[in-house]
Amino acid sequence: MAYKPQYGPGTSHVAENRRRQMNPDIELDKVRNVTDEDIVLILGHRAPGSAYPTAHPPLAEQQEPDCPIRKIVKPTDGAKAGDRVRYVQFVDSMYNGPSQPYQRTYTECYRFRGIDPGTLSGRQIVECRERDLEGYAKWLIETEMFDPALTSVRGATVHGHSLRLAEDGLMFDMLQRCIIGDEGVVTYVKDQIGEPLDRAVSLGKPLDDAWVKAHSTIFHSLVGSSYRDDKEYIEYIQRIHSLRTKYGFMPVEE
Amino acid sequence: MAKIERSQKLFLDALKEKFQGQDPESVKTTFYNFNGVRQSPRKREFMAAAKGIEMERGISMYDPEHCHLGGLPMGQRQLMTYEVSQTGVFVEGDDLHFVNNAAMQQMWDDIRRTVVVGMDLAHATLQKRLGKEVTPETINEYLHILNHAMPGAAVVQEHMVETHPGLVDDCYCKVFTGDDAMADDIEPQFLINIDKLFTSEQAEVLKEQVGKSMYQAIHIPTIVSRTCDGGTTSRWSAMQIGMSFIAAYRMCAGEAAVADLSFAAKHAGVSQMASILPARRARGPNEPGGIKFGVFSDIIQANRKYPNDPARASLEVVGAGTMLFDQIWLGSYMSGGVGFTQYATAAYTDNILDEYTYYGMDYLKDKYGFDYSNPDPAATIAPTQEIVNDLATEVNLNAMEQYEGYPTMMEDHFGGSQRAGVMAAACGLTCSIGTGNSNAGLNGWYLSMLMHKEGWSRLGFFGYDLQDQCGSANSLSMEPDRGLMGELRGPNYPNYAMNVGHQGEYAAIVGGAHYGRGDAFCFDPLIKICFADPSLTFDFSEPRREFAKGAIREFKPAGERSLIIPAR
Repeated sequence: MAYKPQYGPGTSHVAENRRRQMNPDIELDKVRNVTDEDIVLILGHRAPGSAYPTAHPPLAEQQEPDCPIRKIVKPTDGAKAGDRVRYVQFVDSMYNGPSQPYQRTYTECYRFRGIDPGTLSGRQIVECRERDLEGYAKWLIETEMFDPALTSVRGATVHGHSLRLAEDGLMFDMLQRCIIGDEGVVTYVKDQIGEPLDRAVSLGKPLDDAWVKAHSTIFHSLVGSSYRDDKEYIEYIQRIHSLRTKYGFMPVEE
Repeated sequence: MAKIERSQKLFLDALKEKFQGQDPESVKTTFYNFNGVRQSPRKREFMAAAKGIEMERGISMYDPEHCHLGGLPMGQRQLMTYEVSQTGVFVEGDDLHFVNNAAMQQMWDDIRRTVVVGMDLAHATLQKRLGKEVTPETINEYLHILNHAMPGAAVVQEHMVETHPGLVDDCYCKVFTGDDAMADDIEPQFLINIDKLFTSEQAEVLKEQVGKSMYQAIHIPTIVSRTCDGGTTSRWSAMQIGMSFIAAYRMCAGEAAVADLSFAAKHAGVSQMASILPARRARGPNEPGGIKFGVFSDIIQANRKYPNDPARASLEVVGAGTMLFDQIWLGSYMSGGVGFTQYATAAYTDNILDEYTYYGMDYLKDKYGFDYSNPDPAATIAPTQEIVNDLATEVNLNAMEQYEGYPTMMEDHFGGSQRAGVMAAACGLTCSIGTGNSNAGLNGWYLSMLMHKEGWSRLGFFGYDLQDQCGSANSLSMEPDRGLMGELRGPNYPNYAMNVGHQGEYAAIVGGAHYGRGDAFCFDPLIKICFADPSLTFDFSEPRREFAKGAIREFKPAGERSLIIPAR
């Protein structure tokens, strides 16, 4: 019988949102348009229009060793071209940021190829070949994975995910990489590492409270959905813990 | 799980003091208007001090407004003060870095400079091999000589250099025994009086464990163990013990029996506070990485002072343990830098872990009828998987809800590792205190970690991916990986060795298992008695209070050099 991913337990809308983000068969809503050039500006790895720096010659120009794995795995475009490996890193507010660190990692593993994600409490990084990265970053920013106020692209100095929100609704960022204008539009004035941009990049207005609550992937009893109320989720974790305790990592149901 | 009502909210006073004039339950605040690093009196003090130093030495130093992020100083949000839990003392975060806190340094100094050395082997050598008489009078005379020699004074040879007593005034030796008649004959200045220092129940057990044997609790000079290392302690001690026996019992300095005394003092009769570490973390004995959790829980004396409050006793171990293992061991010995401090301080400031732990105590009482204020082995709950799951689930969910309900508290513990350590500690302590089983406590810790990670889709830094997501398999059961009971684990236990925010809490979970039973000791009765000594510079019954004193610069440490340096 073919393996069919279940994308996690739970009866709550948080659990459902998590499954929705992870499942590559579901096309997530595109909620904003950002140009390729703007993505390159925010990432800050190369100047828009410049060639991709390479780490090695294109694979087609190399003598590939006779390796069965290389025959099975089709290289990504970035790998084929010999691009260097670069990163995009997101910070997600615990006040209903639409994605959250482990959720991002799981989603990326199901939806992207050739990636190396890293997951921490206050940030989540994904590294891959540069031209692949730009495509992935565009998807991660344009879709419902992102909210301009509650999600942030930050290479360093990431402090903010657990802090109260500023009065204008933005998550704290000591570098203030993005600001919110009089008309409520969020613009990036610095790239992800904090270098000032030659021109500001607009990412549109923050989504409203009802939207972020409905699309949340984090349990939160004050501003969202209580973890305690999703009994199936809790029981599932207890079950995994009990099986691991009794049987190590080869769990067998009694 | 069955949520219970608990109204105390021990953390609220601290939050109101820290975030004055703000609603601790609001999710909105203002940023970027705090005048940066200058909002903090301590940072301003640092800047002024650095100016003076720069003028004197001609080399630049602390300059946060230029060097931090290329000219963007920290302090774009409020730089918080912290209450050292259950002390009422508010301090700046900087004051809890061990470099800035003399009490923290002294706690570690007092452990590193201590060994316990048995006297039975030496007395047997003197009596049976040499035919010497050993009496209370000769023992008192020996101790008089030893307290002259141990700080660094000569007892046998002519024309010797010696140490200045004012520099080594923290060095001394006392003895203890389970033999009441013998104890009565020892001069009070040299005796650790078990009956006076412990509850009658604890004293009875400890004296039974010690029996008629006699042990020396030896503390070499702080300045010596600082200049050398923990491995020096037994060597310095053994040298002075050997010379004192020679002087007290009129032995020949070169006779072969001296070798027996030396062997007993250096090896056969000595209890180190910590075992040596393997090559890649190479340290001698009496260094932090080798301290077993059971031993550490005996070093800390809060269960002697608070025998009817195992939660309080355990929380004191958390404070002391996170300071030693996170701030000093992992943070400095193993890593270096300043970042580790706030992993540790989260567990002993602002009464947050205290609140979560007492919630667990109330839950134990409400649901299982376990009255934590009357510790008794017969009252502990069977450590089944179901009960561990129930306790850890409820305590963890409550902790998450408190963080959610009080955004200022979430902001206080702004890092996931801080929250993970604190929540898991409360779960672990509830399980270990309630069941009297350290491994059940560790198992509760790991369920908390899994539950935390799934609920908020985040945990701590990368290291938590390793030990906290495989810990279920090596905690309640020891069979899968031929592991150890909690008492025998330590900072160098596989999986435990690389991760800040765990080891101090693990030690407390181990201690809690015994405090919840009302045991007199956790692992080693000799060490429990040794650190009960009120003559020690650091008071091991109140480590958090001592840290607070250090933070407000009221702690008087040992090992100072002002006698031999120019006045400033």
